[in-house]
Amino acid sequence: MSVIKKKIAGGITLNIIPTEKFKKEYLSINFLTPLDASTASLNALTVKVLKRGTESYPDMQAISRALDDDYSAELYDKVYRRGETQVFGFSCLTLGGDYAVDGTDILGEALKITGEVMFRPALDNSVFKEEYVESEKKNLIDEIGAKINNKNSWAVSRCREIMCEGERFAVSELGTAEDVAKITAASLYEHYTKVIRSCRIEIFYVGSADEEKITSDVKALMSPLGDVDPAPLSTEVIRKARHEPRQVTEDVAVKQGKLILGFRTDAVLSDDDYHAFTLFSEVYGGSPSSKLFMNVREKLSLCYYCWAMPDAQKGVMFVSSGIENDNKQIAESEILNQLKNITELDITDDEFDAAKKSLVNGYKEIYDGPGSLESWYMGRMLAGRDDSPLENVERIMSVTKEQVAKKAAAVTLDTVYFMHGTEKADDDNGGDE
Amino acid sequence: MYLKNTEVREKKNDYLKEKYYYVHHKSGLDVYVFPKKMSVTYALFGTRYGSIDNIFRLKGDKEFTEVPDGIAHYLEHKMFENEDGVDTFQRYAKYGASANAYTSFQKTAYLFSCTDNFKENLEILLDFVTHPYYTEQTVAKEQGIIGQEIRMGEDNPGNALAFGLLKDMYAQHSVRKEIAGTVESISHITAELLYRCYNVFYNLNNMSLCVCGDVDCEDVLSVCDRVLKIGPELEIETLRETEKPEVAKKRSVKKMKVSRPIFDIGVKNIDISPDPRERMRISAEIGILTNMLFGGSSDFYNQLYKEGLLSSGFGIWNEYNRDYSFITLDGETDDPEVIYDRFAEYVEKVKKEGIDAAEFARYKRVAVSDFVKSFDSTSEIANNMQEFIFDGGDILDYADILGTVTADESFELLKKLFREEYYAMSSVLPLDA
Repeated sequence: MSVIKKKIAGGITLNIIPTEKFKKEYLSINFLTPLDASTASLNALTVKVLKRGTESYPDMQAISRALDDDYSAELYDKVYRRGETQVFGFSCLTLGGDYAVDGTDILGEALKITGEVMFRPALDNSVFKEEYVESEKKNLIDEIGAKINNKNSWAVSRCREIMCEGERFAVSELGTAEDVAKITAASLYEHYTKVIRSCRIEIFYVGSADEEKITSDVKALMSPLGDVDPAPLSTEVIRKARHEPRQVTEDVAVKQGKLILGFRTDAVLSDDDYHAFTLFSEVYGGSPSSKLFMNVREKLSLCYYCWAMPDAQKGVMFVSSGIENDNKQIAESEILNQLKNITELDITDDEFDAAKKSLVNGYKEIYDGPGSLESWYMGRMLAGRDDSPLENVERIMSVTKEQVAKKAAAVTLDTVYFMHGTEKADDDNGGDE
Repeated sequence: MYLKNTEVREKKNDYLKEKYYYVHHKSGLDVYVFPKKMSVTYALFGTRYGSIDNIFRLKGDKEFTEVPDGIAHYLEHKMFENEDGVDTFQRYAKYGASANAYTSFQKTAYLFSCTDNFKENLEILLDFVTHPYYTEQTVAKEQGIIGQEIRMGEDNPGNALAFGLLKDMYAQHSVRKEIAGTVESISHITAELLYRCYNVFYNLNNMSLCVCGDVDCEDVLSVCDRVLKIGPELEIETLRETEKPEVAKKRSVKKMKVSRPIFDIGVKNIDISPDPRERMRISAEIGILTNMLFGGSSDFYNQLYKEGLLSSGFGIWNEYNRDYSFITLDGETDDPEVIYDRFAEYVEKVKKEGIDAAEFARYKRVAVSDFVKSFDSTSEIANNMQEFIFDGGDILDYADILGTVTADESFELLKKLFREEYYAMSSVLPLDA
């Protein structure tokens, strides 16, 4: 399963991953643009307003019903970040054509709807409908606010914002409530008409359709744009922490404390030897046989979870755990102690072998999901490479302990963030009512 | 002892283009092999033993045994420790599998996914689940880990919301209790109690193995033959407290660190068919009805969305199985009481006006298409398959049953299910509300 690249127009590429494996077909359109505080909210709001209505499908219900009638086709809007790149767009998931009892071109129909949503929005006075813009502004502000509901990811975001203050990496992919509030139907429409022509556009197709057919379908889909003129994408990499580790504590009304250690890793995906870093982070905190899991959780019983999460574009890593407030010091020193052990080559053969096998298993699993394939190749593209998951199997197997220790030694602690829980634990059941 | 297998039966569904093999293994275990040409093979070894089975006896016992809340989940954690001191995750790590386990209301399941060494990994799965080893020390060690898992759950507003609703709906039924128990309840768990539960519920006649992937039935059976010993045929009686049809409480409200109120409306149903095929049919009807009434294309959702009362996070959850049945609708809104009133009004209107047969047929097609799409992932297939098996149903028959449900019957069901006295609502409000 390799990727076939087709140039659709200037700045627009179709990546075809042919496979007979799935009953579904997957087509996804990604607009890539620099993550920036001045445009993050505008981009995030754009896709949400586009989903509200088109020329032929005037409201959300009409779009939804048209998709239902196309064998329950699914159309998702998306906004996410990769390093300092913001990605927004739509993914389309349809039932394979051989399930159409009446010979319908299921994907083709879904793409017609998708094309409408992207390029023929419902307008009033030549701009987006004010009703839709105002309603989606409120939804987006609520969505930004609701990030606090998930305390695990909230704490990691806080650590990222504090550690990377002043870097574009600190910007949320949804922007801020204040920025959203300032947007008007006219300013959003103006932004939309410009931004769709200034993004790099990467389209992914995973499925069994004929290469020529899918290429011509996608050409038709994207024809309203013609050639686009993409703004260059880049991510600023700070390889080492520039100061002694910072300690930041914030009080939040929850029971469990969240400890996040933010590191600069001195390793990014565009490095030739990034795979050695990947193996390091796996040994450190990538699986239930990793050092963090085996020690912080299993040996010391301090937490339920303790993982290391690297960002391959930015060269940072966050170690995240949920603990009793009183255990902050002991958990922090054990997390750092395990890092030190790796730099000192304190890695057993079993641990090393387990980490390699776990990664290899993970690489092979990527082939079972259209979304995971897209995510893999998108990451590679942003780092200027195109190696497949399988090509990385051999690479991982050849890494030595010394290489891993060297990668560990290059990691520097930048910021320790602690979300201190201020709620009393009510251990007698029934306190919930 | 080498155990010979009884006959291998093949079951097919031509529309889905899928099949599986079934063997009632001599050990007492029901074994299902679902061939699928994917990279990942997924195996799920489960027992009909969940958090609700906390009062039980064996045939011949005079008294029922009542065990602490959360013990099924605690037992699941403790299965990963072995007499030789080697943690189960480390055993799997040698063969590159990714392993996990979960406990729900009705079952406990142990699983792995792998892309190589399937037989070795299956042997580990069958071996560790059939070899309990608990000591007072190892049991005590887990208190800290599960204590943090419980804390994480307590800080999760979605969790508080769902269990708030279950406690509203049910006065007695143990589905109202948190799956992991409380920090207090788990402090009463001992090694002896774990063995007691294990010996009752982890007998092979009460369990099933579901494997999905690019595997050979013979390979699965040869590992079963090697590892499994004949299980005792025990008759388990689980005490279920009787429930009134009406909800126990109409409302519950909790204040937590959330940005905006979240609500969960429940419709309780205690009228459950004893016939498994009938249950599949009624489940299918409930799925189609709730999507038609409240799903993304419904008047209800679209009208309330338009008015700014609901956003895209609106969700529907249906349960209809031998032990309990309910429908829930959850989302974010500024004033939960408004949603409740609109919900109750809308349902009355539908009950009065009836449902359109052509509309029902559309939603039936949607349900069939969605079901076909669920056959693209080995983990999804194995998990769904086991859900059906444990309720006496069959995953491949379900597609046909979906095709046979009628608008008239479903409308009768709707009128029976939706009555004011069966409704309750739980909400979580911001701390400063």
